[in-house]
Amino acid sequence: MEDAAIVLSVARWWLYAGGIVAVLFLGFGIDRIDENARGSYIFRPLLVPGILLIWPLVLWRWLKLERNHHDISGRYNPLRQAHGPTWMVLAFLIPTLFLGALALRQTWPKDAPATLLAPPAGAAQR
Amino acid sequence: MSDSSNNDPFFVGYLGIPKGLRFFLAAAALLLIGGFGILALSIGTAQNDPGDASFEFSWGPQTLTGILQAAPYPILHVTSGSKHIPAGKTILLSGNGKRGIVPRATPLDGQLVQVTGIALKRGDLDMLQLRGGTNGLRKADAGVGQSISIKALGRWRLTGEICDGKCLSGAMRPGRGLSHKACANFCLRGGIPPVFVSSAPVEGRNFFLMGTLDDKALPPDVLNHVATYISVEGVVERHGAMHIFKIDPASVEFAK
Repeated sequence: MEDAAIVLSVARWWLYAGGIVAVLFLGFGIDRIDENARGSYIFRPLLVPGILLIWPLVLWRWLKLERNHHDISGRYNPLRQAHGPTWMVLAFLIPTLFLGALALRQTWPKDAPATLLAPPAGAAQR
Repeated sequence: MSDSSNNDPFFVGYLGIPKGLRFFLAAAALLLIGGFGILALSIGTAQNDPGDASFEFSWGPQTLTGILQAAPYPILHVTSGSKHIPAGKTILLSGNGKRGIVPRATPLDGQLVQVTGIALKRGDLDMLQLRGGTNGLRKADAGVGQSISIKALGRWRLTGEICDGKCLSGAMRPGRGLSHKACANFCLRGGIPPVFVSSAPVEGRNFFLMGTLDDKALPPDVLNHVATYISVEGVVERHGAMHIFKIDPASVEFAK
């Protein structure tokens, strides 16, 4: 299988899984973990594209909130605490990736010769 | 909230800038503006020159007559040309967008045809983007076909890059390189003729239409090597005025 076909196949199955999570979360889960969402339905389709992409995070947060439903600080503190370290890591990672890619990319092989391996056998007419 | 945090300066957009944050705000703004300026300049100067290839819209639609060769990819050996594409030239043929014309060209292989479309040009590489259906390609009303001279130039190992012939000829800028790989693969999958850009010339030419040793279109595995610099073995032939590099896909090596 070509590399590109593998990437597309993984992306397709990722989105299929995201679709299942979106149906379950928006159909049942969101009512269980967010009382403000109960009885509100119009906004839910707007969440579908996001859930398709980050469904593992949705599942993880859903599980956390199911286990500790009333702890508001427990709901937001992990994200707040992760903000600073994430910022520092990205500030290092993004320039490193960018500069690394620039440094490691191929350069045009301008000095590579055209090598004749075997001379022509003869001419023909089509 | 503790007392100490109550004394910290706190930015509120509509209240003006707190004294304690003025220096930080000015420094951050200067750093961002200067930093992004330097970043933009660095990225811009690191890019390769895309060259002067382009669609030749100013020429208007070109109508040409010539011998159609369908394999490995459709090309036209021009027998009756125009001011810009004279008789004797051999040009690549493509359809609109990312589509080739293999289904339309195959039944007319070896026949005298008339083509109409918009030209693209990059150096000595010419392509015609044909109009749809028989408006773009049809059997010529009259005329006598001529034989196409084929000259074998031997077996070569060439180093360079596999590109899609349409973007390379001017449909995209840049029409080659790693940043263009996805577009090139879409074009090649659509049947656009692939072109090998060689680091060194053979008979003075650096652009070669590609195919396989058995005169077929490139197999899908070759798409993995598009837009990277490779060396590959194959037979070079001159068909009319077009140089064709018929490769052995198993001989592809990553260029150091």
